[in-house]
Amino acid sequence: MADPTSTTTTAKPVVKFVKRHMLPTGAQSVDLHPDGVLAYVACQDGVYELNLTSGARRLLYPHESYASGIAVLPQGGTLVSAGYDGALQWFDCAAGKVARSVKAHDFWSWQMALSPDGKQVASVTGQYLAGGPKYEPAPEREPSVKLFDAATGALRHALPHQPPVQSVAFSPDSRFVAAAGMMGDVRVWDAQNGQQLSAFNTPAFTSWGIIKNHHYIGGIYALAFTPSCEELLLTGMGPMADPMAGNGRQLWQRWSWRGTPKKVDETKPGSSGEGLMEALAVHPSGEWFVMSGRLRGGNWNTAFFRLSDGNIFHSLNTDSRVTRACFSPDGKRLLLSGMKGQPGFNKEGRIPDWGHVDLYEIG
Amino acid sequence: MNCGSNDHKLHRRLFLEGAFTGAASLMSFSGLFTLPAFAAEAKKQEKHCILLWLCGAPSQFETWDPKPGRPTSGPFRAIPTKTPGVQISELMPQCAQITDKLAIIRSMKTNQREHFQAIDLMTRGDNPRPGFTRPTLGAVLGQALGQVDTAIPSFSLLDPSPEGNEFKAFKAGDWAGWMGSQFSPIRTGGEFKIEDIARAPGLSDADHEEREALRKFLSRRYENRRKSTAAGGYNAAFDRVKGLMSCAHLYDVDRLPQKDRERYGPGQFGIHALQARHLVENGAPFVMVANGMPWDGHVFNHEIHQMLVPEVDRVVYNLITDLEQRGLLEKTLVIIMGEFGRTPFLNNARGRDHYPDAWSLALAGCGIRGGMVHGATDENGVEVKENVVDQRRLFATFYTALGLDPHARYELPLGFPAFYRVEGKAEPVREVLLADPPKPATPAVPTVPAFTPRPTAKPVAKPVRSAKPAPAGRSK
Repeated sequence: MADPTSTTTTAKPVVKFVKRHMLPTGAQSVDLHPDGVLAYVACQDGVYELNLTSGARRLLYPHESYASGIAVLPQGGTLVSAGYDGALQWFDCAAGKVARSVKAHDFWSWQMALSPDGKQVASVTGQYLAGGPKYEPAPEREPSVKLFDAATGALRHALPHQPPVQSVAFSPDSRFVAAAGMMGDVRVWDAQNGQQLSAFNTPAFTSWGIIKNHHYIGGIYALAFTPSCEELLLTGMGPMADPMAGNGRQLWQRWSWRGTPKKVDETKPGSSGEGLMEALAVHPSGEWFVMSGRLRGGNWNTAFFRLSDGNIFHSLNTDSRVTRACFSPDGKRLLLSGMKGQPGFNKEGRIPDWGHVDLYEIG
Repeated sequence: MNCGSNDHKLHRRLFLEGAFTGAASLMSFSGLFTLPAFAAEAKKQEKHCILLWLCGAPSQFETWDPKPGRPTSGPFRAIPTKTPGVQISELMPQCAQITDKLAIIRSMKTNQREHFQAIDLMTRGDNPRPGFTRPTLGAVLGQALGQVDTAIPSFSLLDPSPEGNEFKAFKAGDWAGWMGSQFSPIRTGGEFKIEDIARAPGLSDADHEEREALRKFLSRRYENRRKSTAAGGYNAAFDRVKGLMSCAHLYDVDRLPQKDRERYGPGQFGIHALQARHLVENGAPFVMVANGMPWDGHVFNHEIHQMLVPEVDRVVYNLITDLEQRGLLEKTLVIIMGEFGRTPFLNNARGRDHYPDAWSLALAGCGIRGGMVHGATDENGVEVKENVVDQRRLFATFYTALGLDPHARYELPLGFPAFYRVEGKAEPVREVLLADPPKPATPAVPTVPAFTPRPTAKPVAKPVRSAKPAPAGRSK
C-alpha cells in the first residue's frame, strides 16, 4: 500500500502516518482499547480484534448484516457493537463470546455512540421510505434514537426524530446526546432524563436530485460536541444537483445549539474539495478536530481544523473512503477506519483485503 | 452530461454515429389499419403491456438475485418467497407473496455498459444499425396491439421528470424509428395530467368538428401536392391530439380513488404505475412508466435502494394483484426491468457500478408462467451460470407471450434491408412462457407486418447481410 500523501501547512501539531492495517472487508467503525495496543473494528463481515503492534487480527463475532458501530467499555473487558441487522451486541472479551444481544431497531443501526462516562449506549436508525410525491422521508415507524444502559442492556430512552437518523454523539460530560439525519434535522436531549432540549435544521447537507434522482439523499453523517458542550460540529457533504455524482462540497458546520440555535462557522470557502465526509472527532486537547471521508474532487479526504478559527492546519489523502476517526485518550494517536473499493476475486479465488485501519501519531 | 462514473467514458459519440443518421428513421409507414383482416385480429386480442422502467439500472443483489452470506451480498438479507426454494431481497416482502405470478430471469447478459446505449438496447431489443432506427418496444406493441376504434394513445410514456440525464437524451430521440411518428409515445407526467388540452371555452362540438375537417382537408391537399411527409406527420399529430382531447381524463390521477393513490403512492413512480393500470383498464395497449433515472447507484447504492426497492415492491404487488382482480392480468404483460444490473463488488463510494454481464428482471401476466426462476448466476453473482438470456431472446419472449410472431419481417420500401421484430431468429425463453401461449396474431408462417399500404408481402429486392439469421445471443 502506498503511503498516504500529506501536506503540513503549519508546524504544529504534526500528524505522522505510522501504518495501515488491512482487514478482509470494509471497516465501518473503530475504537481503541484502553491498553492502546488493541483496536476493535466493526467490519462488513463482523467485529474484529486488531493488534496495532503486531498487526494480528481475528474475527470475534458477526452481525447478521454489516457491523456498523463499535465501542470498548471503560474497563476494556466488554465491547458493544451495532449492526445493520438492527442489533446491539455485548461481547465479553475474557469469555470470548457474545454475552447479550438486543434487538434495538427494525432497520439498521446507522451509528452508535458510547457516553464518555461509559454508562450509556446510543443507537440511531430509520429507513428512508417515500413519504410524499417528492420522496420526502416518511415519518418514523419506531423511535429513531434509543439509549441503552451500557451495563445491563436495558432500554433507558426511546426518542423521536425524523428518519433516517444517521449520526449520534454524546457530549464530553455525558450530559447530552445529539442525533442528526438525512434531512439536516438535529435534535439534542438531556441524556439522563430524555428531555428534548433543542431542535434545528440545516439544509446544507441534503440533496434533492433534479437531474436524474428525484429524491433526497445525503445528510449529516457525523457530529460531535465541542469541549464546552455548548456547540455541535456537523459533517457530511454539500448539496448536489445529481446525488449520484457524490460531488457535494466537503462540509462541516458548527452550531450553537442552546436557546435559538445558530450557525457559528463552517468550512471556509475555497478550503475544501468534493466528497462525502463521514467521520468527525475532536482532539482530546479541545483545540482542533479532524474531518474525514471520501475524496471526489480536490486533494484531501482528511483534514485537521483549528476550533479557534476553523482553518485547516493539515490535510492528507488516504486514497480510500474513511468511515470513522478515533483519538486515543491521551491524544497521541489517531485511528481512521475505512475501505477502498471492493476488489474482485484474485487468482487464488479470494478477495484481497480491502478494509483498513490507519494509525497516525500526533506530535 | 453523464452519471459521473468512469463507466461513461465512451460512447455517446459511437452511438450517435449509428443511431441518428438513418434515412429510414425519418420515414413514416402508415396504413396499418387499412388492412381489415389485421385490424380485426388486433382488435380481438385486446392485449396490453406495462413496462415498469427502472431507469438507471437497479441492483440485482438488492432485488431479484440476493447472495446471502457471500462477499457480494450487500447489507440486505434474503427472504423466502411463496415459491419454494426461491429467495429475494428482504426489501421486497410484498413481491415475495406473489412470486407464483412472477417469472424471474436471473441470467440476463447484455453487451452495453453505458446508460444511453443500454437504454437504447433494452427499449428497442437490438443494437443500432447505422442508417436505421429500430422502433422501441412501445412503438411495436402499440402498433401490433392497438385498437382501431379507440382514441387512447397506443403508446403512453408516463414520466414525471423532464430530466433524467442519459435518459433525458434518449427521450429526445426517435422512439418509433421506421414505423413513423404516429407510433411515438404520448408523454405525460409531473402534474399527472395533460395540460392545455381542453377545448377552448365557447367552442361547440359542431364548430370543433368543422374546424378540424377544414384543417384536415387543407393539410391533406398540401401533403398530396407537395408530397410532404412532414405534413403527414403533422396530420398524425393532430389526430393524436384530437384523440387525447377525448381521453385526457384518463391521464388525470386526481380522478382516481384516493385509496388507490395511497396504495401505489406517494412517490411519483407509484402514482404513475396506478395511472398505467387505469389506462390499461381503458384499453391502452402499451404504457411505459418511468421516473427519471434514479437507480444509478454509483454513490449511496444501499441508501437509495432502501427507499426505491420498497416502492417497486409495493407497486408491483398492487399492480399485479389489481390486474388479476380485474381479469386483466392474463391479457397484460408486465415487465419490470432496467437497462442492466450493478456490479457485484462495491466501489469506494459505497456504490455499485454498471454491470450488464449478469443481471435480473421479472415478468408477469400475459403468456408468462409464474412461480419460476429462469437462469442462475454463480454463488457471487459474477457470471451467468446457466441459461443466458440476451436482449434478442428477451424481446422474442415479450412478443411470443403477447401472441405476436417474434420473427415477422418489417416491410420496408424496396432497396432497404430486411428487418425483423427480433433479428437472428432468436428463440424466446420457452421456460418462462405458458405451455400454450396465445396464438400469434400474424399468420403462422413468418410474413411481413403490414407497415405499408401494400397488400402483399413481396420480398425486398436486395436482402442484405443483416437479414440473414444470426446465432441467438449475438447482436450486430
